[in-house]
Amino acid sequence: MSQRPTRHEKAFLRKGAEMAVPATRARVWSLLGVGLALNLSPWADDLRWLVPDFALMSLLYWGIHAPRWAGLGTACALGLVVDVARGLHLGLNALAYCTAAFVVLMLQRRLENFDVSRQGLQLAPLLLGKEALVLVLGLMFAHGEVDWRWLASGAMAALLWVPMAWLLDRLTGRPIATPGE
Amino acid sequence: MGLPARFGLYVLFCLVIAAIDTRYAALQVVHDGLNAALHPLRILLAMPWDWAREAGGFFTTHADLQNENARLRQERERLMAYNQDRHALAAENTQLRALLALAPRPGVNGLTAEILQVSADPFNRKVIIDRGRAQGVVAGSPVVDGNGLVGQVTRVFPYSAEVSLLTDREQGAPVQNLRNGLRLIVSGTGADNLLEIRFLDMHADVKAGDWLYTSGIDGVYPAGIPVAQVVSTEPPRHTPFAKALCRPIGGVGRYRHVQVLNQMAVTMDATDGKKRP
Repeated sequence: MSQRPTRHEKAFLRKGAEMAVPATRARVWSLLGVGLALNLSPWADDLRWLVPDFALMSLLYWGIHAPRWAGLGTACALGLVVDVARGLHLGLNALAYCTAAFVVLMLQRRLENFDVSRQGLQLAPLLLGKEALVLVLGLMFAHGEVDWRWLASGAMAALLWVPMAWLLDRLTGRPIATPGE
Repeated sequence: MGLPARFGLYVLFCLVIAAIDTRYAALQVVHDGLNAALHPLRILLAMPWDWAREAGGFFTTHADLQNENARLRQERERLMAYNQDRHALAAENTQLRALLALAPRPGVNGLTAEILQVSADPFNRKVIIDRGRAQGVVAGSPVVDGNGLVGQVTRVFPYSAEVSLLTDREQGAPVQNLRNGLRLIVSGTGADNLLEIRFLDMHADVKAGDWLYTSGIDGVYPAGIPVAQVVSTEPPRHTPFAKALCRPIGGVGRYRHVQVLNQMAVTMDATDGKKRP
């Protein structure tokens, strides 16, 4: 005979079917790989500045849900690969990814317990700031002209965070967070 | 070590390699290696888009195809006539050069390449092509399409290469006005369909409608490639120099295929003939 769980038990300890699929290194890396592949896809030339940084979004998702596997080292390595893929000087995206991962790791406890739309609100300045940081770093390191339209990709990433995180939450079997519970 | 301390170390590391990569060519090996590793992935990712394009092409109407076929036939006749003329002229030119005892003009051999992707770079206008060092591409080679100059190879990887487009702000091409032989330098503006001649002399004879061809005096671009047509000229306003705006003739950023022109030494039949007994 089982007793109904009290509010506290339900909030802090999830059991059985309620538990999310554990984040393994393989799962984390395969999602990062998918994000990178989306970044590398040949998007239409005219819309390239609107395409959000999927690699960063997947990195931040795991930064929230599996900080052990998506730390600063992963962020740095992923950033270097993105730098090479985009033909930029090494280190620009790596630095921006590290900064974003650092902020997320600092706020990880808070972000983990929010539902996706609130996460999106908190991450929006971060996703926008990353694009701005890359552009400013590019200005610093001798790239003459900057196409400021690229900031739009940060806004696009913030908009797409909600559906992406929702989808990934369903795929990993995370229960739908009910705020205020 | 705490998180902030580790973050500080990573920031330092990134800034140092960014500085090294900006100032020195020491990290070219890293660029090369990672690009070679990403190359198959790029090809794989381009596939679904190609399939989609092919599927779209399947549904063009019969009338469209017939019209196009007729047009292409006419074009072919015209080009064949033109080509015969060209052969005759080339032969005559070789003979005249031999007569004048001039050094043979360095020939070029074209290498057709497909544009794999437009580089996602907010600072420059570049494309990645699917020919690299393995196929004999060298940095600095001009890249053309059927109509005119498109850009220049700026970085070579093992199986791919990076082409800076003519419209890149930092690209320039030395040209000659076809009408009066005036030598000029055309530069990109960063906009897709616009080139400019900066620092034009106030009294320079450049008019809207002039055709600009490469002059070949820089040793990079061979002479006679169409580059641009002048659209308008601006009189000097705040500076002592006038400016002219031009439209690129080559399909910069429009086509899937381009040709890389590799410089190649040409042996001239006429001089060979002299040496033989």
